[in-house]
Amino acid sequence: MKREETTRLHPKAAEAKDLMERGRLSRRGFIRVAALTGLSAAAAYAMAGLPQPAYAQSMADLPFPEPEGTPQMGGILKVGMQVQKMEDPATYSWTEMSNQTRHTLEYLAYTTPDNVTHPMLAERWEASDDLSEWTFYLRKGVTWHNGDELVADHVRWNVERWCDPNLGSANVGLSSISALVEEVDSGEKNEDGTAKMVKKLRDGAIELVDDHTIRFKLSKPVLSFPEDMYNYPTAILHPSFEAPFSDNPIGTGPFALAELVVGDRCILKRVTEVNGAPFEYWGGDVYLDEIHYYNFDEDNQLTAFASGDIDAIYEFGVEQMELAKALEGEIIAARTAQTLCVRFQVDKAPWDDKRVRQAFVKACDNPAVLPLVYAEGGDVGWNHHVAPIHPEYFELPALERDVEGAKALLADAGMEDLDVTVDVGNTDGPWQQTICEVIRDQVKDAGITLNINVMPPSKYWEIWDKTAFGATQWTHRPLGTMVLSLGYRTGVPWNETKYANPEFDAALDEAEAILDVEERRAVMEKVEKILQDDAVMVQPVFRPVYTIVNAKVHGYPAHPTQYHQFNKVWVES
Amino acid sequence: MVKLIGRRLIQMVLIILVASLLLFAIFDTPEFKRRLAVQELGGFAVSALSQDAYNEWLARRGLDVPFYQRYFNWIGKIVQGDFGFSYEKNRPVGPLLADRLANTGILALCVFALMIPISLTLGVLSGMREGSGLDRSITFLSVFTTSIPEIATAIILTVVFALGLGLLPAKSAMIAGFDPWQLVLPVLTLVIYDFGYVARMTRASMAEVMTSQYIRTAILKGIPYRRVVMKHALRNALIAPFTVIVLQMNWLLSGVVVVEVFFEYDGFGKLLLEAALFPDVEVVQACTLVAVVVAVTSQIISDVGYTFLNPRIRFS
Repeated sequence: MKREETTRLHPKAAEAKDLMERGRLSRRGFIRVAALTGLSAAAAYAMAGLPQPAYAQSMADLPFPEPEGTPQMGGILKVGMQVQKMEDPATYSWTEMSNQTRHTLEYLAYTTPDNVTHPMLAERWEASDDLSEWTFYLRKGVTWHNGDELVADHVRWNVERWCDPNLGSANVGLSSISALVEEVDSGEKNEDGTAKMVKKLRDGAIELVDDHTIRFKLSKPVLSFPEDMYNYPTAILHPSFEAPFSDNPIGTGPFALAELVVGDRCILKRVTEVNGAPFEYWGGDVYLDEIHYYNFDEDNQLTAFASGDIDAIYEFGVEQMELAKALEGEIIAARTAQTLCVRFQVDKAPWDDKRVRQAFVKACDNPAVLPLVYAEGGDVGWNHHVAPIHPEYFELPALERDVEGAKALLADAGMEDLDVTVDVGNTDGPWQQTICEVIRDQVKDAGITLNINVMPPSKYWEIWDKTAFGATQWTHRPLGTMVLSLGYRTGVPWNETKYANPEFDAALDEAEAILDVEERRAVMEKVEKILQDDAVMVQPVFRPVYTIVNAKVHGYPAHPTQYHQFNKVWVES
Repeated sequence: MVKLIGRRLIQMVLIILVASLLLFAIFDTPEFKRRLAVQELGGFAVSALSQDAYNEWLARRGLDVPFYQRYFNWIGKIVQGDFGFSYEKNRPVGPLLADRLANTGILALCVFALMIPISLTLGVLSGMREGSGLDRSITFLSVFTTSIPEIATAIILTVVFALGLGLLPAKSAMIAGFDPWQLVLPVLTLVIYDFGYVARMTRASMAEVMTSQYIRTAILKGIPYRRVVMKHALRNALIAPFTVIVLQMNWLLSGVVVVEVFFEYDGFGKLLLEAALFPDVEVVQACTLVAVVVAVTSQIISDVGYTFLNPRIRFS
């Protein structure tokens, strides 16, 4: 019975297989679609005629990669990273926080570094043909650190909690979760006297099918439900949770928090027993005994690695590349969709005049920026925030720099000698400031004076969605549609540009309803083009992410979002 | 003498009262409170909070009352030995501060233990024969090392001794417990920066003493030069450096932020910086209090010590 369900081919997957066979869909693209619709990866790789990578062989039951070489049990992995508070995993606003919990709290899905999303706490999932109903079948035998078994009701509790307007979880911005909520009158008034609307969970949006099956009924088709379920604030908590998490760290993962000193260390130890009985971790062998995070500022991590204090670091900046090359250790570069949006707020002067925005964008030469900032790796961005590594990326014609055109537009808008100031927080390194400096030199040719207001990162995060002109860093997300949904849809909380274009929203809706990557890419042309034409930002660089790891550490993953998942990592003693 | 100390102590209490009142007032703005909320709950959560929920949060944090009321509460707690709670580090300020002060204390002790003998010896040697080759070399060295900022010294030392030669650890985070080797670079950095100043002060004082009449008389009487220096000159020449050295305590407490942050050494200066950036107001308050106490205490020690060393000085 169960077997039959697993092998049932989703119509979209069948369609995708057909497309692949006709050569319209790449094999990798097919595997993605197939995995998304719940086909086991082993079967998908077989259908695509590709050799099964290490991931797939264990994939039928486990999402983790095979360990590298012959693993040794035991040992401690020491990682340099900022150690932060662990308050409420549903409202985390830093990847570092989620790394501190990722080995304790787990997710329904798991996007491996190769950008394929696998079932994790879910054993598999199914989507209705129109992608508006998603059914998650939970893995059986997953045990919490208090002895309870993971059941569908726990997942319901989590999702309902994300939808609580008083919690303020960013998960509401995910297209999957936003399709579970509706706007209702909060009873409060806005400053202008209109009723203040809040988003609340729709009645009947979540259905508990049985103890291990949960169904989500969405108000619109959503493609990225599984990807969303690995977004870092979607970790599944035990319903007994009370903030701060660090006081009562119950999870399903192989490690539990042993010690947290904010700004100093976070020590995780393998869970060996629960209520006096041995703890059976569902995810198979785990090799490390302990994971230690030690607090080092990002600038200091590489030198700390050099002195052997730590085995791996969260990240080092491109300015430290020469030093890194001189050290003994393996440098890992991950290609990502992480970027800097030098964005305008379209409802604030002078950016409320589209001509001014277009002039600014025209004065910039996007491809010239990358080599000045990252000598190695990275991709050029074309002001629409979809990256070449996104599966649905549509390559629009390259933007030509047009200084004269920019001048003409400025003259037309009565804004010659435009003098503007951009706020930049260098929120994860001075590369952000460098990009602004390159842009400053470029727009000078069009008579625009760009001043750069550098502020401390924490200060920038206070004003990132308020300043009229700011350079905001955006992290990688597995699909282009995901980031567009979070950042550019009308009225969503992270819409820092205050961009509101029904045409764009509609096009994005359309793209998100298409499972077929090729077809979706065709729609993405329109989506990308609208956003690019509306000139809401200069976004010239998708940056690479560098890290370094000691040679005695095996299987250390380089995830594009710096999400740590060390289940199969082992260290040589 | 007792009067002097008493006056200084009253001064100290007044400075603490005024400084902390100012800090409470500065940190009382709505922007600051919002920033604290962002730090605790995340920017997104705060922007999504309803006004009621936000007010509730303020009340929970005790931020809904006027600053002078919080100020008096704070004083009440301080008197009972309660330094408050760190929002950022999630632990009581008292033990946190004690840890960090102990670390800075260790650093300062090592710096003093090295810096005092070096700078006094060099200063005396240099001031003994003003204008000699030795004097000029020492003067050049002192001025040179003192003019390099600590951060530059720190980087040079790290590159040479840690990254280049691999002799010393590059960072001083002490993650595996106390390790004296990790103290070497920060201590060296501070000593290199500081010894020149004290040596110059000693030299000036020594040079002045050496030109005084009683030294000339002693030399003319035929007392061996060595004895003149050791018995007659040195005692008087060391009075001025003494006060200078005691006042370095201040600098070693809060002036070494750069070095502590660069080497990731968990001391008082780093704590103060982190707290100010966060902004973790109760930690900033507590640090200010400690800094004022140390500043005033070092002044008292310097004044009292000076009177003992130099009986000609009498405070009325």
